[in-house]
Amino acid sequence: MTGLAPIDGLALLAVGAKAAGYAAALLAMGGVLFVAVFRRIADADVLRLARRLAAGAALVGLAVLAARFGIRAARISGMGWDGATDPMMLGFVWQSPLGAAAIWRGLGEAAILAVLLPVAGLWLAIGGTVAVAVSYAQVGHTLGDPRAALAVLLVLHLLAAAFWVGALAPLRRAAGDVDGADLLHRFGIVALGAVAALVAAGTALAWILSGSLPALFGTAYGWTLLGKVAVVTALFGLAALNKLRLVPALAAGDPSAPPALRRSIALEGAAVILILVATATLTTMTTPPVNL
Amino acid sequence: MIRTTILALPFALLAGAATAHTKTEGTTPADGATVAEVEMLHIVFDAPMRVISAALTRDGAEVAIERETGVEPVEAFHAVPAAPLVPGTYRLDWRGMAADGHPMQGGFRFTVSE
Repeated sequence: MTGLAPIDGLALLAVGAKAAGYAAALLAMGGVLFVAVFRRIADADVLRLARRLAAGAALVGLAVLAARFGIRAARISGMGWDGATDPMMLGFVWQSPLGAAAIWRGLGEAAILAVLLPVAGLWLAIGGTVAVAVSYAQVGHTLGDPRAALAVLLVLHLLAAAFWVGALAPLRRAAGDVDGADLLHRFGIVALGAVAALVAAGTALAWILSGSLPALFGTAYGWTLLGKVAVVTALFGLAALNKLRLVPALAAGDPSAPPALRRSIALEGAAVILILVATATLTTMTTPPVNL
Repeated sequence: MIRTTILALPFALLAGAATAHTKTEGTTPADGATVAEVEMLHIVFDAPMRVISAALTRDGAEVAIERETGVEPVEAFHAVPAAPLVPGTYRLDWRGMAADGHPMQGGFRFTVSE
């Protein structure tokens, strides 16, 4: 297997922390997007859940960001855990692209906390959402060429993913009764556009970073990416089931629809966790074929 | 995905050199070489690398080296053995960070003949 970095405890911890950081960032951004898009049609308690989830996720995101500095410092130091608090090692990490990304992400996640405030707070939180998405274009493989295209594609991919991921818990709450059917139906329509953007941007990124189709087979990057795509496909299957079968059943007052829908959305959440772990593995442990 | 990782594990453990954007272009002594004496230890990268730790070992026991390269990013890392190397099999392992922030590690082995 080519293009796979050596695996050790710190590397696995780095993957876990990065996946947790992705989850926090997507939930924080997505909660804000959910409130922005559905604030006129969602119930007050559904909106309250979305706001609290966004703010809570932003706080977790800030903590994970700090932890990742320590893990990165430990990994480069060669001294194990002692490196995590070594000022010189932390300085090297700060000077690296992760430092620039941390400024964007930290400020963005702090701004997202404003989602708890009245009207003007939402605009600040939307600014924070964009800043968090932009932060991911400051690090990693998207620093390669063509820089501008990779950055725009990644930001689009993240915003679309966040829209979906952040909506799951509020939608699960809304699926509890027949009044939620309208919101779920509207989400299904907006989500079609978001999924189209997600898939188009993701495919373009994979295309640029892989270089060729054969490069996917025989590289660690390729296999991990294919694993991610397999889970994404299963997730789309679940989403289609919800949109085409369960939401119409909920609207029609079918008593079996709410528990089935809630279970299905919870399963979507589990699929998202798998996807984020695959993505963190992809960006931590493997090298895109074009860079080999 | 998890299965992919588990399947990939043995390959990863076999992979001695780091694999990311910045690559090791060559070492002195060459990886796997048998040499009569070692005057210097040398790693060449294709892009600047901040080598933070570098350790020479013989059968697991650390052997002193003097670094001539500091921790600044470099395309060539130099060090010299603190004392002439006695015959045996040696391994040099290093860790550091590539310019894009990726943690990197690698190593090479060589034999000093009788």
